[in-house]
Amino acid sequence: MYTQKVLEHFRTPHNFGSMKNPTAVGQVGNLACGDVMKLYLKIAKNKTGQDFIEDVKFETLGCAAAIATSSVITDLAKGKTLTEALKIKNEDIIKALDDLPAVKIHCSLLAADALAEAIYGYYQKTHQSISSELEKVHQRITVCQTRLNH
Amino acid sequence: MNLSTKSRYGLRALTNLLDQDCCCSVKQISKKEHISSDYLEKIFAKLKKAGLLKVERGACGGYSLSRDPKKITLGEVINALEKPEFICPDFCDCQSKSVWQKIQSGFSHVLNSITLDQLKTSNNKSVYLDYAASTPVDPEVLNTMLPYFDFSFCGNTMSLHQMGSVASQVVESCRVSFANILKVKPQEIIFTGSATESNNTVLKGIAFANKSKGKHIIISSIEHDCVLSSAKWLTTQGFEISQISVDKFGLLNLDELKKTIRPDTILVSIIHGNNEIGTIQDIQRIGQICHDRGVYFHTDASQSFTKTPIDLSKLNVDLLTASSHKIYGPKGAALLYIKAGTKITPLLHGGGHEFGFRSSTVNLPAIIGFTKAAEISVKNFDQENKKLSELRDYLIKNILKTISESRLNGHPQKRLYNNINISFDRVEGESLLLELDFYGIAVSTGSACSSSSLEPSHVLLATGLRPEQAHGSLRFSLGRFTTKSEVDYLLKVLPQVINKFRQISPFKS
Repeated sequence: MYTQKVLEHFRTPHNFGSMKNPTAVGQVGNLACGDVMKLYLKIAKNKTGQDFIEDVKFETLGCAAAIATSSVITDLAKGKTLTEALKIKNEDIIKALDDLPAVKIHCSLLAADALAEAIYGYYQKTHQSISSELEKVHQRITVCQTRLNH
Repeated sequence: MNLSTKSRYGLRALTNLLDQDCCCSVKQISKKEHISSDYLEKIFAKLKKAGLLKVERGACGGYSLSRDPKKITLGEVINALEKPEFICPDFCDCQSKSVWQKIQSGFSHVLNSITLDQLKTSNNKSVYLDYAASTPVDPEVLNTMLPYFDFSFCGNTMSLHQMGSVASQVVESCRVSFANILKVKPQEIIFTGSATESNNTVLKGIAFANKSKGKHIIISSIEHDCVLSSAKWLTTQGFEISQISVDKFGLLNLDELKKTIRPDTILVSIIHGNNEIGTIQDIQRIGQICHDRGVYFHTDASQSFTKTPIDLSKLNVDLLTASSHKIYGPKGAALLYIKAGTKITPLLHGGGHEFGFRSSTVNLPAIIGFTKAAEISVKNFDQENKKLSELRDYLIKNILKTISESRLNGHPQKRLYNNINISFDRVEGESLLLELDFYGIAVSTGSACSSSSLEPSHVLLATGLRPEQAHGSLRFSLGRFTTKSEVDYLLKVLPQVINKFRQISPFKS
């Protein structure tokens, strides 16, 4: 059912664990659905003065696909500027895992959402302007979370 | 007949070669396998001639397999080294010639169906703890079945000629055997293709045959998917379904059952031993309640048949489902007990087999296997009940002791002797299942049938578990071939596995 790549990331996930003093945190998903993802970001300025992801860690409660997508998004996001990181789509995650079963596609969405939420929180905290696109993503996630929590 | 030293050494040396990354010299292997290098050289020369080995020269020179080990059969290896024969010489025309031919072809068939690669992986540790999903066919059952694939039993049980009548007699003797086990009349047993088919026949068959009396059917909230889905489908046909709740142990709420039965209720269908949590219902009392109110009572005994005594002469059960592949019989055979006089419409119409209740050519070898399997299980009941319930309780006690935030699902005493279902907080079942699989341990989350669905088990939710608790549950089911050392291996691996995922989880205790 799962590709070799998914199983590899599942068995030996990259960058898992919590982070001390993270710059930003994004948590998505719901216990009732069985998947909760939490991404920790350490954000710093690169040589050209742009915000970039210096370090990233994840903690996930969920199925093999949830753990593998979390692991892959930390690989994809690490070292990228926030602008670049926001361009990571769930299709990129699926591609990096050589595919996901149809019933598990939502896990890749969850991983992309966790990253977007972390960056959204950081922009808000540092009073930076938030693109209308990111605002939309945040609204969608919030609506979904509130619905699930009730 | 013995396998010659040549063949045994040849196979050992080849599986050894499989473990090597590069070529191996005869000396290296002879040292490892303690085989004289001269002797091994002769064996390798023969294998090379047969095209199974190749030689490479140079620093890393030596022998290696010339083909993918998945494509080399044991038959090829043994034929290259010796010619094991059972066949009479060509000129011979003795009475037993066909017997020897059969042995020879069976012998070759086994050897040609196993590859070198399988031989190697079969030695890897594998612990099967998913007997509730399906069981291996007991070797004694298989031996009983094999002759029935033969020409002499090829007849259709409905044919009038001798071969048809022989086949028919065999099926009738199987019916008698089940009738004796369940203490009913042989004509009340019909053979079907699966427990799913039996259950579908009951729900749809009773519904359509009794709709003039009423359109109300009662099931429980912890039925197998085939009962749930049949019931759901019946609602599209104008029938009304009520689901009776269970308590936290999975026991049916009998007061609720009494209150729910109405004048237009035609059927109550309640699972006997639950497939997920193992809880065994009191079918004596449920049957009495239904009987007092004149409602048919069906019980799905797929998991409990032969694992707990069922004497239908003392129970008010009108219909009962039992399955072959849960009790070391072949897949594709099951039965349905229909008490004489029960009004039921068949699902399958046709040649009128099985007293008209189930048209379809009778699957003779599978039914023979099912019968033998049931006979063995009944004969071994005391012994297996004792062995497996002890192992079950040992496993439950030790898991709960060594793993924090774990709890048993189902009833502590009224449960199938081979079922263990435990919830672990802060982890998710599928990841546990896959990680255990890497250790060679096969278990299940909920039931195997729902492994493609994302929903938490409806059975666990019905016992009052929160969705996240239901998500973190595993079912371990033991069986005839389970050993104490396998259970100990699980007990060693499981805490590590749970711990790994609790570390990854964002929720800490």
